[in-house]
Amino acid sequence: MFPSVLAFESKRMLRNFPPMFFGLAFPVLVLVIFGGIYGNEPDDLWGGLGTVDVSVPAYIGLVLAVAGLMSFPLGMVEHRARGFLRRLRATPARPAAFLSAQLVVNIVIVVLGVGLLLATGFVAFGLHAPKHPWAFAGIALLSGAAMFGLGLLIASVARTEQAALAIANLVYFPMIFLTGATVPLELMPDGMRRISEALPLTYAIDALQWAWLDTGDSIGVALAVLGGTVAVCAAGAAWLFRWE
Amino acid sequence: MSQEEQPFVDARGVTVRYGDLTAVDGAGLCAARGQVVGLIGPNGAGKTSLLECIEGIRTPAAGVIRVGGFDPAADRTRMTRIAGVQLQQLSYPPRATVEEMCRVFASFYPDPADHGVLLERFGLAGERRKQAVKLSGGQQQRLSLVLALLNDPQVVFLDELTNGLDPAARRLVWDELRRRNDDGLTVVLTSHHMEEVEYLCDRVNVLVAGRIAASGTPAELIRDHAGQTARLVLDGRGGDRELRAALTGLGDGVEVRPAGGRLLVDVRPDRRGDVDKALSAADCTPRELPPSLEDVYLNLTGQAAAPAADEAENAHVS
Repeated sequence: MFPSVLAFESKRMLRNFPPMFFGLAFPVLVLVIFGGIYGNEPDDLWGGLGTVDVSVPAYIGLVLAVAGLMSFPLGMVEHRARGFLRRLRATPARPAAFLSAQLVVNIVIVVLGVGLLLATGFVAFGLHAPKHPWAFAGIALLSGAAMFGLGLLIASVARTEQAALAIANLVYFPMIFLTGATVPLELMPDGMRRISEALPLTYAIDALQWAWLDTGDSIGVALAVLGGTVAVCAAGAAWLFRWE
Repeated sequence: MSQEEQPFVDARGVTVRYGDLTAVDGAGLCAARGQVVGLIGPNGAGKTSLLECIEGIRTPAAGVIRVGGFDPAADRTRMTRIAGVQLQQLSYPPRATVEEMCRVFASFYPDPADHGVLLERFGLAGERRKQAVKLSGGQQQRLSLVLALLNDPQVVFLDELTNGLDPAARRLVWDELRRRNDDGLTVVLTSHHMEEVEYLCDRVNVLVAGRIAASGTPAELIRDHAGQTARLVLDGRGGDRELRAALTGLGDGVEVRPAGGRLLVDVRPDRRGDVDKALSAADCTPRELPPSLEDVYLNLTGQAAAPAADEAENAHVS
């Protein structure tokens, strides 16, 4: 049964424009634009690092955010709010099979999105290899868990599709604009940086940039915040999530 | 467990509560193997709640339910393999085609039916590549029947099965169900169309305010609960003020209503002679409507015109 459910959810994902575009195409487009403008030559703004080397780890945050905060929770709420999970109760199928399939499909989007981004960086803009590749993979996984955890929490809190969409947008847009995922934090005034310090994705991008560039910052705080986000979201979702 | 001793669908003493409200109050429903059983009653009477308990979607506060010998709550997997369900509220995920819906539902069952054949039968063969949410209301309704029949079920539960269907599609659905019923399919359905229930059902249960008010074959129900009121139609006499005045003048037990070009007259049995006299004086031959399940429904649910309700009381006593 699960392979059929996975095929079903995959085809539905292929027809779902927002996550396909904002997960796969948009980060690459942003890289092409800013990489095209600034190239990857050492720049004083980044303390002698290239713009592309600094940007690519940050843009990974865009992929994680759209899959974890938008696509994943909206898909779950769609099935629940329309009564489809309820319909499944009259069959031998388990609603969890559909939600697991959606999780898998969204993880595939993340893997493809990150892969496309890195490939574009390496091939077109002379992106340098990561300094700590294993740490980078681990931090990407932890950051993804934090985003999908927040998504699960959104799906647990929202009762209707409209509510889920509203909450997801309220979380998603600050996450992509105020965390260094698109606009570098170095350009922001203190007030805005206070806000960015409250957003988990800021720490994810900080840690991803450390792993890629070895910028020397301590990432202890970042790891603690991301781990804490995962734990809090898991606990909150376990308490609040309803199948119907 | 012997199917002969116990009805194939056997629900007893089912009670459903929503907070302080008791939606279903110790109601039950039985269907022998191969029977078509209808559940009728006003909106809010608890039809859907009772059906959902039997389908295993809702857990009742009290009651014993067996479907094909399985307890829907404790034995969900085995019970849902032999049962097909059409819910009142249709729900299709967006961005999924008819074909994909069928395939994924088929994957739930070890030995599913050929969905191509089913789609053909229900007039959806040309819609396979269309998204389910973009189908018309009637097509969505027919797709829900296809999905309900996809596991070659031994019993189907159909909540308002022909809701939103045009008369031709309704006939098609009826014929298809009747054909499968001939092959042994047990059917439990709810409907607001009394002629549909009368046409399809071997037995009918009338649910009023969460309790079964009456049950029996349509003929038994009509005999016992349709009331004694005669319903006469006087065609072409809607504008006949003289006749209307004469009939209205008869007073108690005679109710006269104009309906377009016709005059409708409800007559209590003890006033029939007077009405016949008035009619022959006006040289009028009435058309008498046979008592139907609709009269039963109206009587038992207390939604009938006053004289008919009186008769229902008498019918209960006798």
